[in-house]
Amino acid sequence: MAPAVRTDDLTVSFGTEKALDGLSFEVDAGEVVALLGPNGAGKTTTVRLLNGILTPDAGSSRVLGLDPATDGDAVRARTGVMTEQSGLDDRLTALENVVFVARMRGMSSTAATNQAQELLERFGIADRANNRVQGFSTGQRKRVALARALLHQPDILFLDEPTAGLDPEATRDVLDLLATLAADQGRTVLLCTHFLGEAGRLCQRMAVLHRGRLRAFGRPDDLAARIWRGVPVELDLGAPADERTLGALRNGRGVLTAQPTPTGARVDIEERAALPALVATLVQMEVPVFGAVPRPPTVEEIYFAIQEGAE
Amino acid sequence: MSAATTATTATTATTTAPRRTNAIRAIAMKDFTAVRRSKGVMLPMLIVPFLLLVALPLGVGLAARNAHPPDVSSMLRALPGGLAKPILNLPPRERLVVLVDGYLLAPLFLIVPLMLAAVLAADAFAGEKERKTLESLLHQPVPDRDLFFAKLIGAFVPAVAISWIGFVCFSVVVDVTAWPVAHRLIVPSTLWAVVIFWVAPAVAALGLGVMVRVSARATSTQEANQLGGAVILPLIFLAVGQSTGLLLVTLPVAIGIGAGVWVIALILVTRGAQRFTRDRMARTI
Repeated sequence: MAPAVRTDDLTVSFGTEKALDGLSFEVDAGEVVALLGPNGAGKTTTVRLLNGILTPDAGSSRVLGLDPATDGDAVRARTGVMTEQSGLDDRLTALENVVFVARMRGMSSTAATNQAQELLERFGIADRANNRVQGFSTGQRKRVALARALLHQPDILFLDEPTAGLDPEATRDVLDLLATLAADQGRTVLLCTHFLGEAGRLCQRMAVLHRGRLRAFGRPDDLAARIWRGVPVELDLGAPADERTLGALRNGRGVLTAQPTPTGARVDIEERAALPALVATLVQMEVPVFGAVPRPPTVEEIYFAIQEGAE
Repeated sequence: MSAATTATTATTATTTAPRRTNAIRAIAMKDFTAVRRSKGVMLPMLIVPFLLLVALPLGVGLAARNAHPPDVSSMLRALPGGLAKPILNLPPRERLVVLVDGYLLAPLFLIVPLMLAAVLAADAFAGEKERKTLESLLHQPVPDRDLFFAKLIGAFVPAVAISWIGFVCFSVVVDVTAWPVAHRLIVPSTLWAVVIFWVAPAVAALGLGVMVRVSARATSTQEANQLGGAVILPLIFLAVGQSTGLLLVTLPVAIGIGAGVWVIALILVTRGAQRFTRDRMARTI
């Protein structure tokens, strides 16, 4: 099956500065992929290029089999974009903001109003549908913007910093909403974010950008395997491991490294199967073992390791 | 209907004319609704025409009804080439009101649509950037050319409509206040109608042709107004300087002048449309 999104050496400059430099990656249909990177990494530029509102200086891209640079309107008819700023007109009501986009997308007035009301209801903002957006909180704006991005049932959804500026409760609500969208409807989602927790929660693969260049792309586990050897394991020994214990751990079969921690030790083992023998060794030494948990690196740890390598 | 089917339908629909017309209408109507609710834009758009087209002729009309209105004959005789002959032929009591309401206030017929078009056009693109709404607009499946013309129509139609409403009010005020002196309708006249319905829209289009291009480059309404003012102000002075004479020329000449303004306006608008691309706009966000 053809990928939903494919970029080949995509490059664009603003003046003398390269905003995106040779970006190449693919996103499968139904996949949720995170574009990660600090401000200025090229995330928003990538979304603009993939929707044909920017033209690349070099390279090419295909979105749903179409070239956004030449078939921009056809691409945009099948994609939905929620921009970082929500893009709502403060002078219009929530309903008017959604209906406006529906009308631009060719819906009749009645169909647009019905569809808009249905979506606002679904996103829990129906009670404020006829209020002007001016007084809305950031979370309420994001909901209206999401309704607008979804009203034509897009094949691909681009979300640019969907939780930026939200308080923790609103962040959780929006993430729940996105998780439902991705899981229940099998929609392809490209999520631009610098909040790593939401990427780890929602995404199957991640692309790490740094100053316009793609530094890494793949599943978190695969990326971690490329950075670190072995499986990290947290050993809870009730107290920092002493020298005798650390020596035994380092001499254990399949152990790559062993470091003390405030509650015991952290060891990197070649494979998960080496763990039972290691625990047995400690028990034989009469070292109390309260827990031994393989702890794969978090998205944060992977991201920062990649970014440090990029610096 | 599946998402894929819906999307395919939408893709096909991007090429259909009714859909494009709907999109243009939706954008123009949205702009109009938004402007209507914006006090910052609406107040100058209503106050200035009110002062120029209602308050000013009202004051002149009341002054002309005075028992001893100022004598303007010597001033009229100073005009070259017998331009003021039609006014000098009138009874002395009528001269002031006809001179001021029928001729000297003529620049207002051109200033008002020019000013309104400039205000609305500044809001059209620079305002979208300022409100951070431009990007989401660019993400819609509306061709570049349609987007440009929707913005143009959204500024042109209200500018001309408000101007015409203002001119109707002007006519009523002038004729009612001047009636006791002139005992006839001073406006509208044929030449006046040509200026209102032919030259004034052309001037509005000219202002738009300039301002839409400025507005597309500027990052805020204020910047657009400042940049645009540098171009619009000389146009206003030109309008003030020429419009009184416009009402003293013959009908074919007035129509010809209007046609000239239309041609310049259309050249500017066409060139603006050719230069307007999403890529250009997106690079200024």
